[in-house]
Amino acid sequence: MHTVWKGAISFGLVNIPIKMFTATEDKDIKFRYIHKSCNTPLNYKKVCPSCNIEVSEEEIVKGYEYEPGHFVVLKDEDFKAIQGKSGPKNIEILDFVKLSEIDPVYFNKTYYLAPQDIDGKAYNLLRRAMDQTGKIAIARVAIRNRQTLAAIRVYRDALVMETLFYADEVRPSEQIPNLPRNTDADEKELDIAVKLIDSLTVEFKPEKYTNEYRTVLSELISRKIEGEEIRVAPTVPKSNVIDLMEALKASLQETKKKTGRKSAQPKKKKAGKAV
Amino acid sequence: MSNPDKLLFPDAGITKFDYVKKLHDLAPFILTYTKERNITTIHYPDGVNGKSYYQKNIPDHAPDYISHRMIDGIDHIIIDTVESLLWMGNMAALEFHIPFNPIGSPDNPDALVFDLDPAEGQPFSQVVEAALIIRQNLESIGVKSYSKTSGATGLQISIPLGRKLSYNHARELNLFFARYFTNKYPKIFTIERKVIDRGKLLYFDYLQMWKGKTIICPYSPRATKTANISTPVLWEELEKGLKPEDFTLHDIMPRLKQMGDLYKPVIGSGLDDGIKNLVQSLKKPNA
Repeated sequence: MHTVWKGAISFGLVNIPIKMFTATEDKDIKFRYIHKSCNTPLNYKKVCPSCNIEVSEEEIVKGYEYEPGHFVVLKDEDFKAIQGKSGPKNIEILDFVKLSEIDPVYFNKTYYLAPQDIDGKAYNLLRRAMDQTGKIAIARVAIRNRQTLAAIRVYRDALVMETLFYADEVRPSEQIPNLPRNTDADEKELDIAVKLIDSLTVEFKPEKYTNEYRTVLSELISRKIEGEEIRVAPTVPKSNVIDLMEALKASLQETKKKTGRKSAQPKKKKAGKAV
Repeated sequence: MSNPDKLLFPDAGITKFDYVKKLHDLAPFILTYTKERNITTIHYPDGVNGKSYYQKNIPDHAPDYISHRMIDGIDHIIIDTVESLLWMGNMAALEFHIPFNPIGSPDNPDALVFDLDPAEGQPFSQVVEAALIIRQNLESIGVKSYSKTSGATGLQISIPLGRKLSYNHARELNLFFARYFTNKYPKIFTIERKVIDRGKLLYFDYLQMWKGKTIICPYSPRATKTANISTPVLWEELEKGLKPEDFTLHDIMPRLKQMGDLYKPVIGSGLDDGIKNLVQSLKKPNA
């Protein structure tokens, strides 16, 4: 695991220096887009349609489109200037709540937190105190020009940080169409449904569930590789690569003849012999 | 220093104490190429025959005099002083790998680099022959190039770009040369990525040169039995014939004192007209 961020948790008067690691990883099989007719992987270029040129990183700024075609440009300095009073690189604990009070809809991404110092005294203190009270911390996190809400809790032996959506980022459930307003149900049917749930109830073991689609897909890919059902990006160039090189050589010879620096001509070596 | 008597290169009889002393001699040469770059080091705490690990991040126990810089979320070590180099030596860092660009020039590499790596069982003399072919072709379009041994099995050829071209442009050039050489000399070069399909051809690796990828630093030792150094060499020396084991921690210093830093132009000079012409020609349609 490599550190994605270094900073500190501020908890009352205590400062706990921590390193952050991503706790989860996406294992989806990745595909590249290739040109169907020649199997070359596609390039993505940032092109300005007005100037009709490719634009380099240095020539790109961020613009907020306040109405179509009208922008406010924000530079790095602007972002830095508003970075907030909490100071940079900070996880500031605001409140403590019960985990059960947070609906899973608010959870976004999980990070492991490790102490920066070797003895981890302050780290352990927070961990023990949260364990004892059964509470988890709600914190404000400032990372790279962004402010995020997060919950800090104990998972096994570690402190973990779950980034949370802000309340206004969760769409109201009232917007879901066709929700039945009437919650009455037929007693018998309800009874059967409840019994079915009971009979299917087990202890949650995440390793029991595997991504079957991914397994089947990677088997399919392996079969295709074994069966040589593969396509290879073109390595056989168009002959004009050689033509171009020879043209460049010839034009240099020409220039040299004109300037009379014949001595500068390269010596013919026994190159090109097969090995 | 910890464990000064530990043999880092048992076959060459080099202890950690010897190693750090040799690094001190090499420091002015190595630092030229590490001082403005993030670095990846390979450590062999139990010597070249033992286990190794890679390091990029500055470790927590690093002393205050070690420079470091946050780049893309990683707190990188920067080797910019003799002390920091020796500290790395004390931690048994035997190989120093550097990116193709300094920190201040994130999108523009110093040079176009051809990394020539022999196929399994291919003698070094064939790598040399291939390098000379490349050099001769480059010379005939007016492009100066410089070579160094990788210290392991291959050779690297560098064409100074004066940090004038982006990685994208450099890759286009690299691909152009890869195509040219594989097409013109199909019995010598291949750009086949799958090792099994390369046969006895020399792999022209045009994909290694990219942002975030690394190459062995000039004058870096290699974790080989004979303690080789990645050494810049003259084309005349290659014509006469040489081996990677000709340049080792034991005997490199007299050579460096006599010849100086042959690789300096790679990071110090601008674009050759030959490269400019080639870039122009590649821009034209149908090229």
